[in-house]
Parts: sequence; C-alpha cells; structure tokens
Amino acid sequence: MEAYLVAMLVFAGFYALMALGLNVIWGLTGMVNLGLVGFFGLGAYASALLTTKAGLPMPLGWLSGATIAAIAGGIMALIVARLRGDYLAIVTLGFAEVIRLVASNEIWLTNGTDGISGIPGPWRGYVSPQQFNLIFLGIVWTAVAVGFYFLSRASHSPFGRVLRAIREDEDIAAVAGKPVLWFKVRAFVTGAAVLGAAGALYAHYNAFIAPESFAPLLTIYIVLALTAGGVGSMRGAIVGAIFLITLIEGTRFIAAEIPGVTPVQKAALREGAIALTLILLLRFRPQGLIPEKTRTKA
Amino acid sequence: MTTFSLNRRAALLGTAGALSSFAIGGKLAAQGAPITFGVLPPLTGAGGPYGPAMLRAVQGVVEEANAAGGIRGRQIRVVAEDDQTNPDAAVRGARKLIDVDRAACIIGTWASASTTAVAPLCWENRVSLFTVSGADSITLLPHQGYIFRTQPNSRLQISTACDYLMAKGARRVFHLAAQSPFAASSQEVMVEKFRAGGGAVSGYIVYERDKTAFRSEVDQIMRSRSDTVMLNGYLPDVTILLRELFRAGFEGRRFTFAYAANATTFQSLPNEVTNGLITFQPSPDLDSGAFNRLKNRFGNVEVDPYSAQTNDHATLAILAAAQAGEATGTAIRDNVRKISQGDGEKVDNVTDGLRLIAAGRAVNFEGASGPVSFDDRGDIQGTKFRYEVAENGRFRLLELV
Repeated sequence: MEAYLVAMLVFAGFYALMALGLNVIWGLTGMVNLGLVGFFGLGAYASALLTTKAGLPMPLGWLSGATIAAIAGGIMALIVARLRGDYLAIVTLGFAEVIRLVASNEIWLTNGTDGISGIPGPWRGYVSPQQFNLIFLGIVWTAVAVGFYFLSRASHSPFGRVLRAIREDEDIAAVAGKPVLWFKVRAFVTGAAVLGAAGALYAHYNAFIAPESFAPLLTIYIVLALTAGGVGSMRGAIVGAIFLITLIEGTRFIAAEIPGVTPVQKAALREGAIALTLILLLRFRPQGLIPEKTRTKA
Repeated sequence: MTTFSLNRRAALLGTAGALSSFAIGGKLAAQGAPITFGVLPPLTGAGGPYGPAMLRAVQGVVEEANAAGGIRGRQIRVVAEDDQTNPDAAVRGARKLIDVDRAACIIGTWASASTTAVAPLCWENRVSLFTVSGADSITLLPHQGYIFRTQPNSRLQISTACDYLMAKGARRVFHLAAQSPFAASSQEVMVEKFRAGGGAVSGYIVYERDKTAFRSEVDQIMRSRSDTVMLNGYLPDVTILLRELFRAGFEGRRFTFAYAANATTFQSLPNEVTNGLITFQPSPDLDSGAFNRLKNRFGNVEVDPYSAQTNDHATLAILAAAQAGEATGTAIRDNVRKISQGDGEKVDNVTDGLRLIAAGRAVNFEGASGPVSFDDRGDIQGTKFRYEVAENGRFRLLELV
C-alpha cells in the first residue's frame, strides 16, 4: 500500500509540475495552450535520447529536456503571436499532435511506436523498487517546490503583473507601452521549460516512453487539474494536481466497494464519476479550489 | 487572513478525502489469505471491444480452480483494473495491483505500449506477466524470465503469411501498413521472404491510421500492378481501404489480419466489397478440449483469440503455483515451463491439472490457444494459423496450418 501511495504521489508531482507550467502560459498570460503534452513529450524524448544514445548524465538530460522544450515554446509563441482564443487552442493542439506523429514516424531517431525502453533512473537497479520510488518522490517534489517558489515570485513581480494585464486586455497593455509579444514569448518559454522538465523526469521514472504516452488525454487531465485548483493561482495548480490524482485513483477503490458491480461496469463508472465531479466543480466553484488573488478582483 | 485559513481548511479536507479513499483499499488488502491474481485488460479505449471477454475467461478458470479446492487449499481472488489502452493508465493500474493487492501475476495486457510500460514494474517487483501483445521488442526486454507471451510475435506471423501467399501464387505484393510497432519489421520480413521466393514487394506505404480517406494510397496500389495487397492495419482503416480498393476496381488478392476485418466489417460494407478478402490469424486450437470448454462457458458464442489466450494464462499461473507449492511471482515464473511442456500427462483444464499435481504426477497443459510451450525468451512456440475467406457476409475456413 505504501509503495502505491508513494508512486501516486510521484504521479501527482508530475501533474503538479505540468499544471504549474500551464499556469504561466494560460493562467497568467491567458494564452490557451492545448499543446502542453507536446512540450512534455519533447522534454521526455530529448532527455531519454540524450541519456540512452548520447550517454549524457541524467541531470544534464533533464536540463536539456527543459531547454529544448523552452526553445520550442519560444518559436511557438512567435508563430502564434497574432492568434487568440479558439484559434490559438487549435494551433497548439496541432503542435502536440505533430510532436506525437513525428515521434511515431521518425523511427531512426525515436524508435517509432515501439517507444524507448530501458531509460535509466537514478540508482535504479542498485536500490529496491521501493527505495527508488522514494528517491524519485524527493526529486519530483523538490522540482515542484523550486518551480513553485520561482513562479510564485514571478507571478507577484512586475513581470507577472504585465502578464496579467496582457491576459485581461493586451491592447491596453500595448498602449501602456509594454512590448506584448516579448512578454508572451517569455511566458511561453518559461511555461514550456517547466513542462519539458516534467516530461524529462517522467521518462526517467517510467523507464519507458512511447508516442501513445503523449496523447491529448493527458493535456485534458492537466487543464482539468488547473481548472479545479484555480486558474492563475500557483498554489491552485499544485492542489488541483493532487485533487485530480486523488479523484482518478480514489474512484478505483470507491467503485470496487459498490456491491454487484462487474469490473467492466466499474471502469465505466470511474470515468463517469471523474467527469461528474469536474462538472459539479465547474458549476459550483468555477474559480477553483484556491482562487487566484489579484489586485483587479480585490 | 480569513482567506488563508479557508484555503488551509480546503487543503486539509482534500487530504482527508484522499486518505479515506485510500483506506478503503487498505482494508481490502488486509484480508490476506487468498492468493491474488491481477488482470489488466483494456476495458475502455481502443482495446475496449476485447478486454471484457479476456477478463471473463480468466474469471471462469479461477472459479473452476476454486471449486476444485484452489491452490493447495488456498482460494484465488481475481482483481481487475482497466488499462484504458493507455500506457500511463496501465502503469497506475499495475502499481495498484502490485503494491495494494499484492498480485502474484498480472494477466492480459493487450496493447504493446501498455505491456512495455508495465513490464519493468513486474520484473522489479518479481511479478509474472502474461501478455497477448505482439511487438517483437517485448520479449527482448531484460525481463529475467518474468514475461510469458502467448501471441506469436509479429515476425513469425508475417513470415507464415508470406509462405502462404507464395504458395498461392502471389508474386507482386503491395504492403500497406498502419504506423505501428509491426510496420517496419513486417516490411523487412516480407522483402526478405519474397526475394528468396522469386517474387517482390511491389510497394510499401506506411499510413496514419486515423485518416478517413486513402485515395492516394489506393492510387499507388493501382499503379504498382500488384497481384496481392497486404493490408497490415486495424479495423477502422482497413474497412475504409476495402471500400476504396473496390471503387478503384482492384482485382487482385486482398489479405489482412483477422483483427482488422471481422463481423463488423460485414455490417459496414456490402458483400460485393468484402467477397474474396482473405484473413489470417494465429488460431486458437479449435478442436482442443480446452477451447471447447471455454466456448461452452461463454455460452457457445464466438471466442476471440485473446480470450483463448487469457484462459491459458490463468490456467498456467494456477498450475505453476500449485506445482511450486507457493504462489509468488517467482515461483510461477520458475514453474510455468514444468507444467506446460515436457513429457508429463496431457491435460486441457485446470481441475484435472490440479488433481494430477496434487497426486505428484507430471503434467503438460495444452491450452485453448495452442499447445502453449515457451522458448527461453518467453515467446510461444508452435501456434497454428488459420486462413479464412469472406463469402457473402461470412467467413469460410480455407486452411488451418
């Protein structure tokens, strides 16, 4: 049981990191990013390939994963500079799909749909599986803590205030003399770097990645986590991620307790329960569990 | 200040909720005594049509074994989790089965990506993994013997198919493959086989399976003057391809895997489009006692190859544990080959097997999916293949080799 709880906390950590990254792009700057799994995948593939094929040490692999995702984020921000709302959502969704398709078709590089297996993990094989879990728990939540600290600082700094101004009305921000595009690029780069770092860590925890791991379902999970936690709030991002994992995993046990339910019905019930909870949350607490505290609303 | 304490309360509430929901699971695990088998089939997602029957087959075998007294007096409990045909969900499901339920084995992973994702957890935690996934790479993992695969790997499947096609006079074969772990390795095998047999692969296209139209692919097939087209895809895309090949007037042989064309194909396409389509599959051993028992248990409906395989997975695990006298993943790993191959008395069901093992006799289990013998890597040996042709909305058996 403990091992399972630890493993789920590790997953919660990945989701929290991703929610933090998304929060910079979507929550603060208001740019809908449905391509976050693309940056996550990019980080995962970069680190997996650099450590398995180029023999880079793991920390450098993680750093490269974040850097490559950040560069992609910067380019992405320039491409979508003029897009807003639905159009931005479609283009970012397309970006994630392109990453997934490239990963499944460029077999010489990514090993195609077979995926990359045997990705090293810190001390994996030298310690017991349970100790490995605990080590990774430490690594992931340290990353979350670091990310949280710096992103919260940034969000309350003049930089964060400009991002919020862009979110509320970018024309006004431009009139006030703020270089809107430059801020957007920086927000995208920061968010994508966090997403890439999450992906890089994920690859080394799982030891295996395949294009199917980066399907749009994960994007939806993270968007839901952030919505549940509170869009724009860094604490909300973390609470939302923990809430989401609790919901996904908790329904496993609750559904099993209902007498007379077959496993097939249980699987369907679980998905239904997750959907229903999120609908209820959005209906009765649209601002999320920990709403953003902004000057404009105060 | 008030808002902060509210937040903290909300966070506490969330934590309490999390803990209580996990505590329910803890109670389950604490009951202890029975032996737990984990089943991780796809109950939702792309594998959703297959998972429920795969699970039912396992439950049937376990009920029978429990009625026969279980494994040395210990009852067996089946715990199923949904892998959602998604590697991420499969890992979380496997975590739960291994860490919470203490499963001795995991049965029935279907998608190759799910199996590969789950495999390291299994060998690190010393849990046996029985799978129906076909990707060659799976048994090449450093799995220390913990993986048993009853599905012939794709190399064996394709090379058998090539032999059949050449025997039927195919000389120019066009290979149209959905992007999958099999596409590239299939192509290698086909080129090698046809070159050696005096024929040729007249064209090779890998397509994206989610497309809804395949005009350019079909045009290339027409241009290549092939006598046969190998449709190496999945049900939805092969259905569209069949229609477009018919429209384009393709008159050669159309050949595909049985999982890519089944009864639903006949519902969505008129007979004149499907007539003449040849399908092939690693066949369950249709005349075997094990297969007929499974068919009876399912109520005389059609039994798919995957259910036949999970039926055998459960039987193998139970007999191996009985042979070992203990139900750990390692004991199962070390004893599967002792009860599935060799000179022992042939049995086709779990009841007879348990009785003979209790009497101290050697057994050799012959399953519903075939004779179930494994090589050193955990791959199945000596499976039969079945060829069928579509005729007026039904499949007619051509050959069983």
